[in-house]
Amino acid sequence: MKLATPTYDLKNYSSVYEPREDTFLLLDALELENVYLKNLKPLFALEIGSGSGVIISSLSFIFEEKCLYFATDINPEACLATLNTASLNKCNVEVLNTDLSSGFINGIFDLLIFNPPYVITESEEYYTQAINKSWAGGNQGREVIDKFLRKLPEILSKRGICYLLLLKANDLQDVSNVVGKLGFKSKIILERKIIGEYLFVMKINR
Amino acid sequence: MKLLTHNMLSSKCLKNVNVGYPLSIKVEEMITSVVDFNPEFIARIIPKLEWNALKQAVNEVGKDSCLPNNLIENFENDEDFLKKVHHVLLEIEIVNGCLVCPETGRSFPINNGIPNMLLNEDEV
Repeated sequence: MKLATPTYDLKNYSSVYEPREDTFLLLDALELENVYLKNLKPLFALEIGSGSGVIISSLSFIFEEKCLYFATDINPEACLATLNTASLNKCNVEVLNTDLSSGFINGIFDLLIFNPPYVITESEEYYTQAINKSWAGGNQGREVIDKFLRKLPEILSKRGICYLLLLKANDLQDVSNVVGKLGFKSKIILERKIIGEYLFVMKINR
Repeated sequence: MKLLTHNMLSSKCLKNVNVGYPLSIKVEEMITSVVDFNPEFIARIIPKLEWNALKQAVNEVGKDSCLPNNLIENFENDEDFLKKVHHVLLEIEIVNGCLVCPETGRSFPINNGIPNMLLNEDEV
């Protein structure tokens, strides 16, 4: 099945990250996993750092109204952008303005997607402007990723699956070791070299 | 914010809060929308719910007449029951108001249907 790119319009949301190659790589990963995901029948799906809302909205093209869609973003304007994109695509998404999954009870999400701020920067860069939080990843691009990985066991349900976007410079082998120690398996399911970046999608489950 | 989401939220993220569940709801603006009813889907959601938290939520938003007191057996085959659960979970939306931590009274605002669960550094 070809997964259509959801319609979006960000002209009123200037501090929100526009869909780019990393976004499209995640969409391609979901397209690749489409049959597997349909069989998994996730009941609760969450996208952390939903930004434009393109990815969470695309899930409704796979599962239609047979899944409950949730999104979080630390940037309030991104929360509004996500709701707007969801509405443009006739998708019901519940949005929370929060840090990662903070506020949700444990162990409910069967499907989790995160396109983290993965770019290697100075730690301080993250705090300067709202939009920086969408890409500035601090040391090795891993500051937010590592915080997220520590929370992974409490976010995912027992059968939960996570798709995580990473950059080669984030040290894939080390990420794999970290999730392994938390009791998860991991596998790279898609990769793409673009100008200046080498992007990967890692699939993580128990 | 739908009442479904309320069922999944807690203020345990605050330091020194033990359970933080269920949050109480203060409504300023509420709307009711129409969402397609799928009985099998609702029957899959029900086992994941905290029934007492849902009861408290419908009570707080003034819709307690919409939901039976107890979770009935064999709800999968009771279309009338499933319809009521569908309505309270997916069709009632809090547009503006707040969620309140049951232990500390800390209030989390809801604006434009979006709960703000962000914490200050000294609250974590």
